Formats: sequence, structure tokens, C-alpha cells
Amino acid sequence: MTTISTITERLQGFGTAEQVRSNRVRLKTTPDRVRDAITVSQVMLGCDRLVTISALDHGTTFELLYHLIGPHRIIISLSVSLQRDHPSSPTVSDLLPPAGIYERQIHDLFGIMFPGNPDLKKIILNEDWPADEYPLRKDWKPRPESFYGGIKTERL
Amino acid sequence: MAEVVIPIGPQHPALKEPVNFRIIADGEKIVRLELDLSYNHRGIEKAAEQRNFIRVLPLLERVCGICSHSHATNFAKGVEEIMALEIPPRARYIRTIIAELERMHSHLLWLGVAAHEIGFNTLFMWTWRDREAVQDTLEEMSGNRVHYGMNEIGGVRRDLTPAQIQAALSRLPVLEERVRQYRQMVESEETLLMRFRGVGRLSKEEVLKYGAVGPTARASGVDYDVRKDDPYLAYAEVPFNVVTDTSGDVYGRTRVRVGELGESLKIVRYCLEHIPEGPIRADAPHTAPEGETLSRYEAPRGELAHFIRTNGTDKAERIDIRTPTLANWTSVAVCLVNQNLADIPVIVAAIDPCLSCTSRLTVVNRNDGTAGVITFDELRRRRDRQWDRQELR
Repeated sequence: MTTISTITERLQGFGTAEQVRSNRVRLKTTPDRVRDAITVSQVMLGCDRLVTISALDHGTTFELLYHLIGPHRIIISLSVSLQRDHPSSPTVSDLLPPAGIYERQIHDLFGIMFPGNPDLKKIILNEDWPADEYPLRKDWKPRPESFYGGIKTERL
Repeated sequence: MAEVVIPIGPQHPALKEPVNFRIIADGEKIVRLELDLSYNHRGIEKAAEQRNFIRVLPLLERVCGICSHSHATNFAKGVEEIMALEIPPRARYIRTIIAELERMHSHLLWLGVAAHEIGFNTLFMWTWRDREAVQDTLEEMSGNRVHYGMNEIGGVRRDLTPAQIQAALSRLPVLEERVRQYRQMVESEETLLMRFRGVGRLSKEEVLKYGAVGPTARASGVDYDVRKDDPYLAYAEVPFNVVTDTSGDVYGRTRVRVGELGESLKIVRYCLEHIPEGPIRADAPHTAPEGETLSRYEAPRGELAHFIRTNGTDKAERIDIRTPTLANWTSVAVCLVNQNLADIPVIVAAIDPCLSCTSRLTVVNRNDGTAGVITFDELRRRRDRQWDRQELR
């Protein structure tokens, strides 16, 4: 039987765990340990499913949250902080296949790299979208000289 | 035989919404699927960061025209959790009633679309006719057919009158009878069995591996259902069963959805009969303290997740929306492999894909063939006339 206490005990080596709610555990870890933390959650804590990967922009850092769940119905959120000047975290799409599509989405919207993802192509933004603009970053503003897709018209 | 790439979409008669598939086929068999969803991004998450909670609700309701209530409720529920705000029981029941009516209209719509995809248009007409009874109930309760606008932070915006409850209850027996018939049809009608059985099969292991959600997952025996796992609204008090199936194919997904129609009817009946008296909203503060939550909701298509982070102001720092369809695409790409090209529409339709929906009203006059758009005032007058007739006021 997997309980909150076994989860915090098992994941102790990866960072500090806190219980946010009756069925939620949040653990702060680092990009180089996140793959191991996911493997432990899968093998020892019976997590068989990734709910989603959330991404946030904190100004100087980005944060990724991997929300995992299993038959115990407790959500384990693994939080990872990334440096803004070089935002990159190893892919988890080989451990959790659904992560592939979420990583592609985060790459589109935040410009975070996931080394090891075999197919980090555009999925959410249209093909005309400028390559170096990431709209969900807090400092993004549409540039007048950029073309964001659609039909080009002469401005009157 | 050499592999051939067949592009389908973004504009294609078999697709209801813009999406692009690149099907790599070997003869009639599908080898691989590549997917491009980039035709519909509207920047709602970005827009939601700029608006206060009151203005975010109608915006999120417009993420989808079918699960509009799901998005608004899920967001309101998340913000209320961060505010540590308890909403009145009557509001919880009203939200649940709308949620289950929404599931019913969505599943009836799906059953029609699935029937249409295999050319069984009679069933399509039947289910869409029955869906009108659900739509009428929703319109009576909320004033709208699509975007109900029932939610606000702290409760709901409209109360149910005893006459509305009676009108809703009086429609249920017919729907119950129809759902019984659909269940029978799905299990015995030769046309459905031939096109649904063994098509697009996913094993339980595959569902878990590829992260499918909702009826797609439950059809393969995976009993994830947020309503039971992490009860919200009134689901902890309402008796209902999680419908699962073991066949894992389109047939199983159909059986699960028809089964859920029956369960939703039971929930709606229970809630209408046991709705507690009392206020319908609690006073909510304008700002939320710093905090975060992963708000989960069982939308008609599966688990919907909103990750909400607040920063002490009246705006959210981040709203991350993961729709059930996004979670289901990976499994579609898997279950199409080795299937027949002709089964693409029904397999894709079997997850009930929802990319985004819009709604527009044009009215055609049958007598002289003129078409036009009804003004809001005229719509209101007609609604009032109808309401007077039904003595709902």
C-alpha cells in the first residue's frame, strides 16, 4: 500500500517533499535527478501515469512540474527549476511516452530544450511563427516587424 | 510495397476541426501517424494571465464549445481551493447538474458523430434529436445552449426555480428510455458491431503507457475517473458507478459512453431530487493569496487538468491547461498502426477529439429562404416569450 509517508520516504534522496493536500505530494528536485526520481516513482511507488507537465516563467528561472499518479490516486508533483539563460532539462519521453507531446508544447511556448527528445518539432504554434519568439514567456511582446502567420496584408 | 505518405487535413471532409495528419501507409495498412495541431492556437493561456479572475471565467469557458462548463468549473474550483473558500452546497449541486447534463449532451453528440463516420446516419439523427432535450434543459437553466455562464468564483450565478427542476425531471424518463434503447442497439445492431469491433484496439498496458484518459482509457479496463479518485463538487455524496469495459476497441469506447449516459442520468436525477436549500454563492475576495494547485476535473472526454499559480493579486500568474484530447493523441497514433485506412475516421472520432469550437447563430426563414443573424434583443424577446409560455418564470 502506497501512502503519503512511503512516498516522502522513498523520494527523500531527491529533495525535500511536502504534503500540499490530503492526496498531493510536491517534491523539489534538480534537472539531473528528475529522471531518477521518475524511475523511482514508477518502479517503487507504482506511478503508472503522467497527468501533465506544467511550465512556469518566474523571471530569472523557469519551473517545470511533472505530475505523476498511480493506482494509489496520490499526485506526486516533481518540481524542477531551470536557468533562464540556458533552459534545458533532459527528456523523460522515453520513460513516459505521453511526455513527448507535452515537451513539444512547452518547447513551442517557452523555448525550453529537452535534450534526448527525438522529435522536438512545432506542434502548437503555426509554421509561420518566428523561431526565436516564445509567447508564454513573461517578457514576450508581439514585435511590429515580426510575422506571426495568417495572410499578409498591406497596412493602410 | 513502398510506403506512401497520405496527408489528411487541415481542411478535409472527414475532419470536423482543423488538424493535419500525415499517414504513412503500406498499401491499405497504416504504418505510422504524424500529427500537426498548429491550426487553432488562440493564445488563451497568455490572455488569461492579463485578466482578473472575473474576466478569466468567460474566457476559459470559450476554450471549448462542448466542455465549456468543464473549463470554467475547473478554474473556479482551483481558485476557490487557493482562496480556501467553501462554496454553498446548493451551488455545488447546481454545478454538478450542469456538468452531468453537459456530459450527456457531449456523449449523445459523440454517438451521433461516430454513427455518421460509419455511414449510419439514422442513428446520428436519433441521438442528435435526443440531445435537443438535454440542450433545452440547459437553456432553461442557464439561458444558453453552449456557453452556460453559470460559474463565478464562490458559487453559481443563477438559481434553479422549482418549475425549472420539475421541467428537467419531466424530460428524464424519455431520455432514460432512449438510452436503454441505445445500449441495446450498440450491443446487437449488426452495422455497429461490424465497424466497431476489433477496431483501434488498445490494451490496458498500452493505455497506461501512452497516457490515454476518459472513456478511451476506461474502455480498456483502466478505472481512472477524477469524480471517484479526487471527488469534487457533489460527487462524494452522489451514488454512481465508474463504467469500464474490457474490449479496448471502438466498440468498448461506445459501450462506456452509453453506460456513462445512464450514470449521468442517475446523477442528474439524484441531484435534482436532493438539491439542498440555501444560498448559491459565497462572498469571494477579489484577490487570491500566493499559492498553486493542480485542479482536476472529469470532462466528457476525460481528465482535464488546470495548473493554477496565483501571486497575491486579482490575476493568475499562470494557468496551464491540459485538455483531455491532448493526452489522448499519443494513444491514437499508437492504435492506428496496422489498421485499415478506411477506419481512420472512426478511430480518430473514438477519442472524441476536440480541438476548439466556435458557435454562431444564423437563422433561415423557411418560407422565403432569407437568412440572417438574430440580434441579441430579438433573441432575448423570443426567449422571454418561450419562457412565458412554459410558465418557468
